[in-house]
Amino acid sequence: MIMEVSALTTIAFWAASAMTLGFAAIVVTQRDVFRAAIALAGSFLGVGILYFVLSAEFVGVVQILVYVGAISVLMAFAVMFIQDIASGSRPSQGRIVGAAVAVLIFAALAFTAYNTNWSTMDEITDPVAVAALTEGYVEVGEDDNITVVTTAPVGSTEVVIENDGVFVDSTSALGVSLIREYMLAFEIIGLLMVATLIGGLMLMRDPPKGRDEQEPEPEAEIGGASV
Amino acid sequence: MTIENVLLVSAALFALGAYGVVSRRSLITVIMSLELMFNGVVIAAVAFSRFTPAAALMSGDPVTAEAIRSALTGHVFAIFVTAVAAGEAALAFALVFAMYRAAESVEITDAAEMKN
Repeated sequence: MIMEVSALTTIAFWAASAMTLGFAAIVVTQRDVFRAAIALAGSFLGVGILYFVLSAEFVGVVQILVYVGAISVLMAFAVMFIQDIASGSRPSQGRIVGAAVAVLIFAALAFTAYNTNWSTMDEITDPVAVAALTEGYVEVGEDDNITVVTTAPVGSTEVVIENDGVFVDSTSALGVSLIREYMLAFEIIGLLMVATLIGGLMLMRDPPKGRDEQEPEPEAEIGGASV
Repeated sequence: MTIENVLLVSAALFALGAYGVVSRRSLITVIMSLELMFNGVVIAAVAFSRFTPAAALMSGDPVTAEAIRSALTGHVFAIFVTAVAAGEAALAFALVFAMYRAAESVEITDAAEMKN
């Protein structure tokens, strides 16, 4: 099973990567925090494009909705709420340490990436698996039977498949996966969201007007009565 | 575009985020850098899903629908990480606001004390 990558996809991949890393570099170096927040949105958008290039359409849409749409707005709000942030985020003394840590992490990860013998899709030999991954995949019924819908042109002996099968129709297979194999995790994420919501509200509400302000009042009244 | 290239981009994003976390002083930019690191990890997960075969498809057993779906485990991982990161960001900002209200500052060096 050969999953070939076209030149156009490669160009799109490098463009999205350059966008992501360029904006990320602005985020970690820009002194103006508001500009950093805007650059962060650009970086998230680049990552979203990267997911589309990697044929993970649903993840790309989620990335754009959640990160570009929600988290970036949250960041911008945070920057605007906190007034003295306008003075800029000064770099701490940890700059050299930070650079050293980053270079070490990057070197280790890059070394691992290039020195590992990754298994490839070519190693899948089962014809049903190849067909389901490349030609189209339709699920039927409760049983484990799978239906493969062939989209390859009739009569062509050698079809170069770039994105097809599960990796084109990933959304439906992903949805089925989420409510079957990952049902429990899916439910627990909902619980986590509720906990986050309540925790955020608890932290953000006004400090209780209890003890600190109530106690002086009787004293003032007593003082007033005595005068 | 090979898996090595994608992992390189993922590693670069993670390293940039790590640099930001260590070198920035404002809590808000530290959280931004944390989000960059999350994104680097998720890119790697999606890349593995795209370029490496699922173990269930290579075992030699008859291929089931579940085995086919296991090719998308990286995508599922990405969605869960995104959900957790979104919750984490919301809570982190609530904490930053609480600290700003208490200490009139959002710099890490001012967060050394945890009184009250």
